[in-house]
Amino acid sequence: MRRTSKSLLVMWTFLLLGVVGWCDRLVAEEQCGVCHPESRVAFGESRHAQEGVSCTDCHRGDGTTLEVEAAHRQGFRSLTDRQASPAMCAECHSDIERMRPYNLPVDQYAVYQISQHGQAVAAGDVTAAICTDCHGIHDIRRVSNPASSAYSRNIPSTCARCHADPSLMEPHGLTASVVADYESGIHGRSLLEERNLAAPNCTTCHGVHGATPPGIGDVDKICGACHDQTRQAFLEGPHREAMLAAGLPECASCHSNHAIERFHFEDIDGLCGECHGAESEQATLGTKIHTLVHSTAERIEEAASLVQRAERAALRIEDYEARLEEARTYLTEALPLVHAVTVEPVEQVTRRAHAIADEVQHEIHGELDRTEEHLGLALFWFYVLMTLVILVLFKRRLRAAREAS
Amino acid sequence: MSEEKSSVLDWFSRRLNLTEIFSLLTSYGIYYGELDSRKPLREALAEARERPVALYSRWPRILSLIAVVLIGLELLTGGLLALYYLPTPGSAHPSLGTILRDVDFGGFVHQMHFWGGQLLILVLILRVIRYFLGGLYHPPRELIWVFGALLLLVAFHLDLTGRALPMTDQGYWSSVRALEIVGSVPVYGSLIHFLVGGGGSFITELTLIRFYVLHVALLPIAAVILIYMHFSSIRRVGLGGDPDQKRIQPKGVMRNQLLTLAIVLTLVFGLLVTLAVVAPKPFHREADPFATVPGIGPPWYLLAPFGFLEWMPEIVPQWLAGLILFLAFMAFLVVPFLHRSPGGPKKRRIVLVIFLLVILVWVVFSIYGARVA
Repeated sequence: MRRTSKSLLVMWTFLLLGVVGWCDRLVAEEQCGVCHPESRVAFGESRHAQEGVSCTDCHRGDGTTLEVEAAHRQGFRSLTDRQASPAMCAECHSDIERMRPYNLPVDQYAVYQISQHGQAVAAGDVTAAICTDCHGIHDIRRVSNPASSAYSRNIPSTCARCHADPSLMEPHGLTASVVADYESGIHGRSLLEERNLAAPNCTTCHGVHGATPPGIGDVDKICGACHDQTRQAFLEGPHREAMLAAGLPECASCHSNHAIERFHFEDIDGLCGECHGAESEQATLGTKIHTLVHSTAERIEEAASLVQRAERAALRIEDYEARLEEARTYLTEALPLVHAVTVEPVEQVTRRAHAIADEVQHEIHGELDRTEEHLGLALFWFYVLMTLVILVLFKRRLRAAREAS
Repeated sequence: MSEEKSSVLDWFSRRLNLTEIFSLLTSYGIYYGELDSRKPLREALAEARERPVALYSRWPRILSLIAVVLIGLELLTGGLLALYYLPTPGSAHPSLGTILRDVDFGGFVHQMHFWGGQLLILVLILRVIRYFLGGLYHPPRELIWVFGALLLLVAFHLDLTGRALPMTDQGYWSSVRALEIVGSVPVYGSLIHFLVGGGGSFITELTLIRFYVLHVALLPIAAVILIYMHFSSIRRVGLGGDPDQKRIQPKGVMRNQLLTLAIVLTLVFGLLVTLAVVAPKPFHREADPFATVPGIGPPWYLLAPFGFLEWMPEIVPQWLAGLILFLAFMAFLVVPFLHRSPGGPKKRRIVLVIFLLVILVWVVFSIYGARVA
């Protein structure tokens, strides 16, 4: 009996402790959402909420009480000061200990401070972008989340929020057409239409938090990050030094900066004359290089259509296709080399491509040659005609014999 | 008759009814004239040779004979192709590749088979036109017309099934187009779709093996039977036309006739070989059932029904358009029962006008179908 009541007492105590604990949790949980439901819901979407960051971690104050006065005491901050806001993010994001488990860089605030945005904000221009303009306020998602405004494919539209707005750009002497230009260019189309995430967005060239327009002398380094072969050839050529001296941006002078188009062979012809004069030595050199590349591309296309003909004639084309692929690779190699503006390296690779295409054409023509078949047909018709002559003669003899009888 | 000179033939003659076997050739129009199967072959032939040639078998009435020779050629070349062809979707195209590339004369046999088929369809169409213009469907020759029309139908199906067998993209999609046309006909269309499998919108393993069986067994047998029936009917009722029997010369005519046939068939064979060498059918890529190749219409002889179906306004349900096609074909089949007596010159003129109208409509819809495709 006594043992039973004792154990009942123990159970009762544990139950009571559980209820108290539960009530304690209720009280300890943040109550901010009761008055700020929209912010609470937006925050619920964020990476911060997933990692257990609470309202008071940023806003301070007391989140456990439902009394308005008490809740907004204890150093509460509303964070509407745009100038102070980046430093608040840096409280955690520049903290090595805190960021190490997430493998996030901690120098981003420092980088931001030397960016055009950061410098403008520091100088008192609060229209310049701060952290929350790009990442969101409460609903900050991971950059790898496609719903994030900082996701690779969303960056152009995020930048466009300010950079496509003439009222914001004009006071700084900036044009509001850059994002539209980018979207019409090959990089924008590749990223946005073809969904190629390897294609560059705004931050690839301008930097992420340290966003700054690249200066003359840096353009080739930025383009060269992806177009390495082209840059190497460009550095070997005479143009870089001349452009720097003349104050012209390197790659962008010919290719433009945002509305970059794929270069067509036809466009290269006459391009040199635009700066050097149509009659100049350089224009002749340009025409020569253009002819080399253009004629090789034409040869490869001719060979490719011949391969199709060969396929219809039931020839084996696997080998030809492989060799044409090799020729195309040489042609692709020639395009970066064009930027050195010397004939020899371009000629070296186009000659190889040319030779392969010629060889393929020659061999297919040999295989497609039907002279033997046509000779056989002529021989066949010779026999057919002989047979016909014999049959007709035979008929005539029959008729003669009949008439004689 | 000396013993040594005729030993082999007589040896067989004593053991087989050679005359009866030979008379099979007569049944297929190769040797015109009746043979007395009770007599030994030599005697029967000697007798037949001196007999006058029936008017129905005289030059230029040899379209059926050309058809028989072409069917024979198709059986021969088809048999050779079947030695290497594999009727499964995965290996059909590669096996044709093997035939074209690695088998000696494989390409030539393939081209002969293709062009022989096209020529056969052309000859069968010409034959039907000739029967119509010659009035060869009035009693008692109704069956000549019916067998001719059915043979044409069988030839169309042979060509259709044959086109799909190599699983090239052109052949595949032209078969699918053809199946769509057939599928528009009520009852018959759904029956065909059920029989070939794949619901008529794509070609599966089952479709291919069924096409193959139709192409190499059922349809050729039907063609051979129909052409036998045709000649059987002709031997009974003749080809009519000019009943001027006096034009037949009584002596040595059969030999003369055979020589004429030999000349014509040599020319046909020459034409076929020339087509096979000069205009080989291209070996197209393997079909991808998930990638429609644009610009492929049905085979040339189905362009008119295809054009008709495309021309029909959207409001007309497909089954109604199909029904019209079906009724048109049935009307074509039962022409001899619709128009029984030749009538006077005025009625003949009306018939001629109707014929020209039908040809005109066919040509116009064919051109329209080709442009739509």
